[in-house]
Amino acid sequence: MRQARPYSGIFCGGVSARTGPHALPLARIKKIMKRSAGEAADGGARMISGEAPVVFSKACELFIAEITRRAWAATLEGKRRTVHKEDVATAVHNTDLFDFLVDVVMADAGGGGHAAPGYDDDENGALE
Amino acid sequence: MDSSSGFLPAGAANGGSNNGGGAQAQQQAAPPPIREQDRLMPIANVIRIMRRVLPPHAKISDDAKETIQECVSEYISFITGEANERCQREQRKTITAEDVLWAMSRLGFDDYVDPLSVYLHRYREFEGEARGVGGLPPGATRGGDHHHHSMAPPPMLKPRAPGAAMPPHHHDMQLHHASMYGGAVPPHHGHGHGFAMPHHQGGHHQYLPYPYDPAYGGEHAMAAYYGGSGAAYAPGNGGSGGDGSGSSGGSASQGGGFEHQHPFASYK
Repeated sequence: MRQARPYSGIFCGGVSARTGPHALPLARIKKIMKRSAGEAADGGARMISGEAPVVFSKACELFIAEITRRAWAATLEGKRRTVHKEDVATAVHNTDLFDFLVDVVMADAGGGGHAAPGYDDDENGALE
Repeated sequence: MDSSSGFLPAGAANGGSNNGGGAQAQQQAAPPPIREQDRLMPIANVIRIMRRVLPPHAKISDDAKETIQECVSEYISFITGEANERCQREQRKTITAEDVLWAMSRLGFDDYVDPLSVYLHRYREFEGEARGVGGLPPGATRGGDHHHHSMAPPPMLKPRAPGAAMPPHHHDMQLHHASMYGGAVPPHHGHGHGFAMPHHQGGHHQYLPYPYDPAYGGEHAMAAYYGGSGAAYAPGNGGSGGDGSGSSGGSASQGGGFEHQHPFASYK
């Protein structure tokens, strides 16, 4: 079970996808990278070093943590305790670093950009 | 930022328009329709990371989870696009880890570069160790038991010297050895570092044969990783500037990483 073929460990997820030091599956990261990178200048496929997804696995953790923290700040601001996508949108709009995500959160919010969260009915509103 | 603008539409097409089964929106970006599970990080992993930084009483709505999921893919696309342009400019075919780090610092994610450099450095050390211990050439089949080695690693250990990419982090290997083994991993002997591996997370500092800077971003990152605490990184630690200059080490890293299994894979 622990036996891993050469080539299998890093890119196919395997053990490391679940319990290893990489919290996110490297194979998935690599797929997304491949799609984003497209072709090399000479028309050949762009290649991706095996270490690049390793870096991304950690980077995405940092990224998720940061955007979550900022979204949570927006949640608290609204005196709620459920993080909604509007909170994520607020975090994106309030952070220059996340400018590249504006389209993502706008698309998710139905093109309206930052809208006031309207889901308070499922919250008790009281914050400790 | 500006040089990445040419990439952004593609990235937006990839990551921005799925709100529920967006296979048709993807067809322009890539010939085969991209399955949802290929386009996004697994939701469970994303949620786990989110929960790590939220207080226990916090709840996360499904739409927030999905949005973050989208954002992660967009983030990867965004950074990769910048790294890709650099490779194109320099007429290289392979996007390396250094390209990724460079792109991050260029696009404003400077705070990530330090912890990521440490992470990469540690990964390389382990990888080098795994490769060196068996005395096997790269690509040779190795059983899953290389972590059982009990002899001192041979001199070929650490084939990649801590070079231009991350000089300030040289000493950190031992720290991360320590914190790594402080996790759920049983004690591990024979790494040749000359000090005992701690068995518990909390006490690893005392094993360090050198003074360390507690404000060091990488340390927090790794401790957070293995300890599951919320401090994923320490922004703005200025201890080691010039991380964006890691590019010069890029070529050295291209050859590695493909031939053999993940050295961490055994440590589950």
